[in-house]
Amino acid sequence: MSQLSITAKRAGWRFASSLPALFGVLVFTFLLMRVLPGDPAVFFASGPTAGKEEIETIRKQMGLDKPVPEQLLRYLGDIGSGNLGRSLTTGQPVLSDLKSRLPASLELTFSALLIALVTAVPLGVAAALRQGSGIDHIVRFICALGVCVPTFVSGLLLIYAFYYLLGFAPDPTGRVDIFTSPPPLVTGFLLIDFALAGDWEGWRAAASQLVLPAFTMALFVVAPLARITRAAMLASLGSDFVRTARSLGLSRRKVIVTYALRNALLPVLTIAGIVFSTMLGANVLVEKVFSWPGVASYALDALLASDYAPVQGFVLLMASIFVLVNLTVDVLYGIADPRVSVE
Amino acid sequence: MTIVRTGWLAAALLTSTTLLASPALAQTRAETLRHVTGAAINTLDPNIPGSTREAFGLSLLTYDRLLSFGRKQLNGKWVFDLDSIRGELAESYTVSPDGLKITFNLRKDAKFHDGTPVTAEDVKWSLDREVSANVLGKGQLLTGSLTSPDQFKIIDAHTFEVTLPKPDKLALANLAVVYPVIINSKLAKSHATAEDPWALNWLKDNTAGSGAYIIESYKPGETTILRRNPDWNRGSADKPASFKRIITQTVPEAATRANLVEKGDADIVIDLQATDAADLEKKGKLKVVSTPQYNSITFVSFNNQMPPFDKIEVRRAIAAALPYDDMFKAALFGRGAPLYGANWPDGKAPTGEIFPIPQPLKTDLAEAKKQLAAAGLPDGFSTTFSFNVGQAGTAEPMAALLKESLGKVGIKVDIQKLPDAQMSTLINEKKVPFFTEGIVAWLPSMDYFYRNFYIGPIRWNYASLDDAKITEWAQAARFEADKAKYASYGKDLNTRHFELMPQIPLWQPAQDAVMASSIDGYVYQFHRQIDFRDLSRK
Repeated sequence: MSQLSITAKRAGWRFASSLPALFGVLVFTFLLMRVLPGDPAVFFASGPTAGKEEIETIRKQMGLDKPVPEQLLRYLGDIGSGNLGRSLTTGQPVLSDLKSRLPASLELTFSALLIALVTAVPLGVAAALRQGSGIDHIVRFICALGVCVPTFVSGLLLIYAFYYLLGFAPDPTGRVDIFTSPPPLVTGFLLIDFALAGDWEGWRAAASQLVLPAFTMALFVVAPLARITRAAMLASLGSDFVRTARSLGLSRRKVIVTYALRNALLPVLTIAGIVFSTMLGANVLVEKVFSWPGVASYALDALLASDYAPVQGFVLLMASIFVLVNLTVDVLYGIADPRVSVE
Repeated sequence: MTIVRTGWLAAALLTSTTLLASPALAQTRAETLRHVTGAAINTLDPNIPGSTREAFGLSLLTYDRLLSFGRKQLNGKWVFDLDSIRGELAESYTVSPDGLKITFNLRKDAKFHDGTPVTAEDVKWSLDREVSANVLGKGQLLTGSLTSPDQFKIIDAHTFEVTLPKPDKLALANLAVVYPVIINSKLAKSHATAEDPWALNWLKDNTAGSGAYIIESYKPGETTILRRNPDWNRGSADKPASFKRIITQTVPEAATRANLVEKGDADIVIDLQATDAADLEKKGKLKVVSTPQYNSITFVSFNNQMPPFDKIEVRRAIAAALPYDDMFKAALFGRGAPLYGANWPDGKAPTGEIFPIPQPLKTDLAEAKKQLAAAGLPDGFSTTFSFNVGQAGTAEPMAALLKESLGKVGIKVDIQKLPDAQMSTLINEKKVPFFTEGIVAWLPSMDYFYRNFYIGPIRWNYASLDDAKITEWAQAARFEADKAKYASYGKDLNTRHFELMPQIPLWQPAQDAVMASSIDGYVYQFHRQIDFRDLSRK
């Protein structure tokens, strides 16, 4: 069998085997939301003259007047037909809310991950090559700083320094300056859409809005990536094949990049997948601080309001993304190390 | 080499930020007003259950009502005036001598956004919708004796009549609040369905109004952009609103809102933290209009049906043990109007026309101990004090001080911080013994407060008070046309309130409107949002 068909078969099998897990997540979230204290109907019926009648209307609107098993069956039926319900917090269907907000979160997360990888891998390699030296300590310091300073603190600090004091950054609200007209919607990723439209002024505006939140997010995940790179690099530098390569008199560059780094990248890839999934959910504070219209802050608002539909929709989305990311990592793994694909 | 490599990270961070910052804004800022807020607009029709306050604010801009409130000065600040009601879509109105018939003469030049004229037919359809459909306005209009479509009559295209079963002081005022918006009935009807005859679904995401502003773009939870309606002339000076565009943007982080307005990127904000507002006021660059919310009360409440708070002495003991001044400073930095520390020499309320009024309360631990002993609880008791997370900013310091002070008289307090939805549920089920809450009355007349917050099994009767006298006087005051008699009911009610101490009014928090110094005309409104039609740039 060719490499490609093995990979495809493997991906298909992995995807099918994750479906029961997705279903479990679906049912579990549904039940969890219903055992949480707090009646959403009462919360939303908060008008000055809200009485029993209004509470009942909202309860009926949310389908909460039916017994839980029936609600669950209806919910599963709705999901099957692509209906995730309606959010009371925004007043819009959850599906369209998620659709319009997911690109914002993904764009932020991808940029942050890219910045983090570009920073963390060289740092980790440098630290491994000079183990115990000054640079190793500096890398350790940066990692500790990134992990121990919560994102909302670093976010607010960056805003304070670059927007408030220095005035370099644009005002930290939303994905693009409020006076810039958005590009025609193609992918939902502003950087791509502006580029497609050839509007480079707009592209600059969108990119400049992205810098601070992406750095905030990246700072947070540099640590795990750099640590893993360092450890993997140390392991592969100490391995037999590197010793062999050295003894053959290959150039230092070839030994480090071709032999050591390529092997060290496998665990980094795994961690990057996990980091990506967690970032997407953990974005919530960054999204709040930068008024970023993403899915995480949307889900948090809904959770505080006991607004069931958006929370359930969000969890389902996250679970699906997690499955997809794992799948991608598996496939990449197979390409990077053909031994993995051998069943 | 080491230095070069680490320096690279810092350099990258710096340069990328500097290079990418866009220097200038494309559009003319002077004609646009940018408003930032922590909350979101979630519907374009204020009548939908679950509407946010921001949605109420929006409806005042996109729709007209028959009437609107005038303004008056209160301690040097402009506030809405419940007693001066003027025409908005109505050019004039007359009330019959017996107070049962109100006749409205509609403006003949008023047009909806699509150009069709506003007629009595639209008014009739809109008000029928208010009292028939499942909308928020239904419950509100009830408080002004407006309950049935039979009360609304078209006389001719521009004359409209409302009949009341009894003369009701709040009938007119109710037609000026955010709910009874006048909708383009032809447009709305064309989007109505058999299940939805009142076009509730369509109007949620669309407007069919005649108001000062037209929706240009609406992204729920993010931004709403409004364009001026050039034909609108219901303003006080008989001309269109001053700003060409209004941008309302949701910015959840309070510190960022403060930064934005201080840097001049936002023009106005009304929901800053008290510290930020105080700080910006001190710096003196911006205009800060701090108005005590004279139609609201923050109080400490008890469930009067639940032991030990069913004992009057226990409630009095707590009223005597609260550290009022410290709480006011810690929670609000003194921004607002205190409702404690008054002096009632004869133990009787000094006034009856209004409520809330400052109560003769001060911290007196000896008195608290005496009251506890009288209640048969000389060693105190244990209880929980609850507040919702949404109010943590002010309630948390307040609760800590309360706990410390009550501890001195033997009352052991556990502080319970509850998610907002959970707190509302528990309050609705009358299961919270001791807590803090705030209330707002859009129509802050004395009897309205008592009828809506101290009577019956409803949720807003936070104290679960069931007192025959208060119920009787409040209901009687509602229809009392004689001013002196009304005031005498009020005096009795205010005195009785103090004697029973069903809950302890603490203060009226300030609404801090922080704006660019060029912004003029801000008025504190009944719905605690900004009426952008009032504003202009100098």
